[in-house]
Formats: sequence, structure tokens, C-alpha cells
Amino acid sequence: MMNINKILKDSYHVMAKDLLEFRRNRMQLAALFMMPLIFLLMFGFIFPSGGTQQHMPMGVVNLDQGQGSNEFIAQLNLINQNTSSMDFKTYSSIDEAKTAINQGKIYGAFIIPPGFSDNVTNGKSGDFTVYIDNSNPQSSMQVQQALSSTLNGINNMEAEANVLELANETNQQVNPQAIIFPYVLNVSTTIPGETNYFNFLAPGLMIMIVMMTVMTGIPEAISKEKEMGTFDGMLSAPINQVSVILGKTAALCTKGFVQCVIVLALAMLLFGVTIQGSLLLAFFMLLLGIFSFIGIGILAISMSGDQASGTMIVNLLMFPMIFLGGVFYPLQQMPWFMQAISQFIPLTYAADAMRKIILLNAGIGDVLFQMLILVAFGVVTMAIAVPLFRKSMTR
Amino acid sequence: MTKNAIEINNLTKKFKDFTAVDNLSLTVKEGEIFGFLGPNGAGKSTTIRMLCTLAQPTSGSAKVAGYDLIKDSAKIRQNIGLVAEKMIMYDRLTAAENLRFFGKLYSIPKQRLEERINELLQLVDMQEWRNTQINKFSTGMKQRINVIRALLPEPKILFMDEPTLGLDPQTTFSIRDITREINKEGMTVILTTHAMAEAEALSDRVAIIDHGKIAALDTPQNLKNMISQGDTTVFSTKISNLSSKIINKIKSLNTVTAVAQQDDYNLKISAHGENPLNEIIDTIREEGGNITSVTNSKESTLEDVFLAVTGKQMRDQATEKAAPIHHGHGPAPKARVR
Repeated sequence: MMNINKILKDSYHVMAKDLLEFRRNRMQLAALFMMPLIFLLMFGFIFPSGGTQQHMPMGVVNLDQGQGSNEFIAQLNLINQNTSSMDFKTYSSIDEAKTAINQGKIYGAFIIPPGFSDNVTNGKSGDFTVYIDNSNPQSSMQVQQALSSTLNGINNMEAEANVLELANETNQQVNPQAIIFPYVLNVSTTIPGETNYFNFLAPGLMIMIVMMTVMTGIPEAISKEKEMGTFDGMLSAPINQVSVILGKTAALCTKGFVQCVIVLALAMLLFGVTIQGSLLLAFFMLLLGIFSFIGIGILAISMSGDQASGTMIVNLLMFPMIFLGGVFYPLQQMPWFMQAISQFIPLTYAADAMRKIILLNAGIGDVLFQMLILVAFGVVTMAIAVPLFRKSMTR
Repeated sequence: MTKNAIEINNLTKKFKDFTAVDNLSLTVKEGEIFGFLGPNGAGKSTTIRMLCTLAQPTSGSAKVAGYDLIKDSAKIRQNIGLVAEKMIMYDRLTAAENLRFFGKLYSIPKQRLEERINELLQLVDMQEWRNTQINKFSTGMKQRINVIRALLPEPKILFMDEPTLGLDPQTTFSIRDITREINKEGMTVILTTHAMAEAEALSDRVAIIDHGKIAALDTPQNLKNMISQGDTTVFSTKISNLSSKIINKIKSLNTVTAVAQQDDYNLKISAHGENPLNEIIDTIREEGGNITSVTNSKESTLEDVFLAVTGKQMRDQATEKAAPIHHGHGPAPKARVR
């Protein structure tokens, strides 16, 4: 029996050798840096940012032309000045506005019907219509959001004026806001300041990139040596096969770590992501994540004889993991059966824990459940993979 | 008393239905150069892989350097060196880095390892290439490094699987010289080859192996005597209008054990009996064959032995495997070969 010390030493030699080979390969070195950059930029920009859109073109058709409607439009402009969420353009008829919508010039149009001013002065509600182009659900939703907040603002202003007027008539001292909005909501967030999609994305992306590096790396690293014949050199030397796995994994982990640091640095520098929690715990989580993935990579190469089929098996497993692991979308937004599948994917737990640690400053206690699952997943897959790997080595 | 370096008992390796090595039994004495001679697919490499603990035997047992193949595989690996058919080297590492990496796996102390690397580079006259990456080397230079890599841990037994395949004559000779030299210092060498000349030039004893079985095993001289003194005659004949009809007719003769076509005109025929030559010549002429020459060399070669014992010609199968596979990276080797 070879002792642990020798196994670890040999692992180190294998790792150092792999890294040296890697360092000499300029293409791979460039890819190491490019991958996190491309992923971050790509996913950061193709997914909706969640922030409100500004300067949405809207049409205004005033069929009333009375004092009430002019005041209303003036207030609309006043409120909108603060947010600049919409740009207004005046049209003379409904048909003209509809043509503009069809041509894609505006997202929708305010239509103020005749008699609007009369209604307002006679104490009736001033009804008007907004015609919205919902062929693009995304912008239609944005427009509706902007509309309701703008209208709320106007209603609020009007109500305040009305309340003050009533109070003056009856000689009462009142706080109009307390009458109009008796209940006030204060939103307090877990993360101070404003957050964006990158806050959600970055932790998950870190662990996903490591997963991709390790999972695709293992079959590649092992079958390359197998096909080149260098594997025989290592296996005919007095070393334990475990050293080969350990060393190769350690080399891949190093690459994964470098990529993680790049992701984190880019996310902080370019996209304003802030770190709330302990980096040390985050990196420990990363290691655990890697541990849970290695087994699958080794399994893939043990089951397939060559690099091509090994890589294929890994890709087959990796894609559902990437999309169901909750890296890009919150799991809660998926249908129930997809959520059920995602429960069996280690990335789900790793990404979740990573997010909690980095964004919420979660301690070990808070992510203990995820850690246990990852360890269990790693132990089970390794228990199956390592004997299979050893057997496949001496076929 | 000489000990046995290798003892093989009924060693068998099956890949599904195909039996690569079939009940092989033999012993190799310490200090011997032992040659496995056979065509590709005869089971030579599989035997070597099993003895190097790289492949599990299906059945049978073997002792290498006194250790059991299954139980003591780790101890065996301490005592062997392997020159495999594919070169065991990393292209992006320098010669010294390659040697250093493998040396560390054998737990050779640092200082001793550096000494050993210098010694070995000197042995193959390649000190000046020590810090050059392997991918700049020519095939011959690579193979020299590949051979000394196997010698690093000073193994008791050196396995060489087709060590001169695809090499230029110069490198081939220098590798053979090194092999003889290390053998003189006491290392047992197990060699596989499909080159008759190599087996003949190097080996103390040769096992002719075909379809996973030993067809003949003796010293090269005894194997050759087997033909010249025995019942078997091997001779060449040139027929200017050679046809398959003629070949088949010769094959059908009782005295003929094997016929091998060497090119469009030349045949090599192995036959037994008192004087088979007359009968064969008569047959050829009956079929309208025009014999230009018949050669019955006094000095038979291992090639003749191979034909006589396996009924096949070595050369045909050897050429089946065209150029050996090289992992061609980068431009043509810039370094010169001496």
C-alpha cells in the first residue's frame, strides 16, 4: 500500500506538469481569460436588465381641447420630467396615432375623448384611453408600468389639492398625504443600494464557469494522454491512479479559480457588483462545488473510450445543468416540473449558496444544507466513478 | 545460479471474442535480451502491456522481477522501464522537464535525479538539447529521449515495444547500441519487433509469436539451424509470368508448407521432404510458369524461420501498418540529427 504522502506528492507533480503544459499553450491561455469575459458580457446584455426603460415614444391625441385636458397634459409632462420614462408626440386623430403605432414609431397613444374637460369640472371622473401596442409584451409591460406610476403621481397631486381645498373650506388643519394614503410602505432591501441582474448572475456564473472547466477538462485531459500514450508512462510508474485524478483535478481547479477571480473582478469593475459576504467562504464553496462535479467528469471518461465520446457525454449532462441550475433565471420562475428536475442538479445548490454568501453575507450555518448536499453528491458520484476509472485504465 | 526475470504461466488476454494472447508460458532469465518476433496483432504488445501492469490478464499468472503480476503490481512498477510503441513524452515540455517529471514519480531524490538526467543525456549525446521543447525534435531525437526516460529509475527489466519502428538507420543503430550497452551492465531487456534483423541482431533468445501463441522459441542461431539442418527447405524463386493459378497449384502440393508472394515475380516457398525442389519446379512448368531463377541460400534467416513455422510471410503483414503514427505538432523538426 502506498502512503498518503506519496499519493499527494505524485498528485502535485501531475498538477505541476499539467499547469506547465497549459502555460506553454498560448491559445488555451487566451481562452482561459476570454471565456469569463465573453460569458459575462453576453449573458449580461442579452437578458433583460430589469431596470425601467426610458424615453419610450408615446402619442397624445387630444380630442377634447378644453382647459381640463390641457391641464392634464401639462401635469403629465411635469410628472414625466422627473423620470423621463416617456417622450410625448402629439397626433391630431386616433387613426394617425394608430398608423404611427403600426409603423413602430410609438409604443402607444393617450386618447383624451371629447367632453373630458366637462367631466372634470362637473365633478365626474376624467376617463381617457391609452391604446397600447402589445405585439411586444416586454415593452407593453414597461409602458403600462410607466403609465400607472405617472397616473398615480397625477392623481396624488390632484387629490392633495382637493383635500387642501376642502380643509380650508372647513377650517381644519390636515396632512393631506395621511388622508389620501393612510398606509405607507417602506421597502428595505437585503442588499443596500440598487441591485441589477449582474448581482444575481455573477455568483452563479462563477460556479458555472468552474463547473464547465472541470467537467469538460477531465475527459479532455485524461483521454488526450491516453491517446498520446503518455498515460502508460504514468501508470507504469509506481504511482497510484488516484494521484493522476487528483493531480489533474487540482490543475483544472487552479484554472477554474483563475477564471472565477476574473469573473468577480469584471463583475465588480464593469457592472458594479458588490461583495457583502466572506470571500474565503465563497472560495471554499467553489471548492465544494468542484468536488461535486468531478465525479461526473470521471464517470464520463470511464464509460467512453475516447475523447470525442467523453466530451459528448459531458455536454449532454452539462447543458441541462446550466439552464436548470438557476444561474440565469431564478428557479422560482420555472414551471414546477423543471423546478423538480433542478433539485437533482448540484449546480442548483452551489449557485444558490454562492449567491447567498456573496450577496447576503450568509455564514456557514446558513448554507450548511447546500454544503451537505454537494458533499453527498460528490461522494456518491466519486464512489461510482473512481473504481470504474481504475478498471477502465487497465482494460 | 541465474534467476528468472520473468516467469509467464498460461497467460491469456481476451478482448470480447478475440483472443490476443493465448495460454502463453515462458521464462526469461536475468540479464537476457529476449525478443518477441511477430506480425502486428500477434499479441506482442498486449503481452508487454500485461507484464507492465497496464492491462489485466483474463487468466493465467506471471512473475515479473520476482513479484506477482496481480498482487504486487506496485512493486513490479518500481522495477521496470517501458519504451512503448507510442512515445511517452509531453510535446510542450523540454527534454529535461519530461525526464524530471517522470523521475519524480519514481521518488528519485532531487540531486540524484539531476545527475541521472545528465548521465542519460550524455549517453544518447543530447546534452545540448536538454532545455529544448520536445516538439522541436526530430522523430529520432524524440525516441532517444523516450528510451532514456525509461532508463531513469535504473530498472531491472526494460520493456521495449518496437523501439526502432519508423526510425532512420542511424538512430536505429544507436538505439540498438544503447540496448546492448545497458544489457551488458546487467539489465534484462524484453524486446518486441517485427523486424527480423533487429530480433536477430539483438536477442539472446527469440520467441516467434503468432495469433497469441508461441510458434517457436530458441536462440536465433538454433532457430535458423532448425531449417537448414532439419526437414524443412526454404527457397526463393523468380517466375516472370507469375499468376495466382501457379501460386495455388504450388500451395496444393503435399510437400509445400507455405508460399509467400514477395512481389510481382518472386515467391518464397517453404517445403519439407527429401527433395521437394524437383516436384515444385515441375509443377510450375506444367502450369506454364517461366522460372528465371531459383535461390536456395545456405544461410537461412529468421524470416525463413518465420515462414516455415507460421506458414505466413512476415513482410506482408508488417507493411499493413503503413507509416507509424506521429503526433505531428508544429513545423518540421529544426534540430539536426547526427
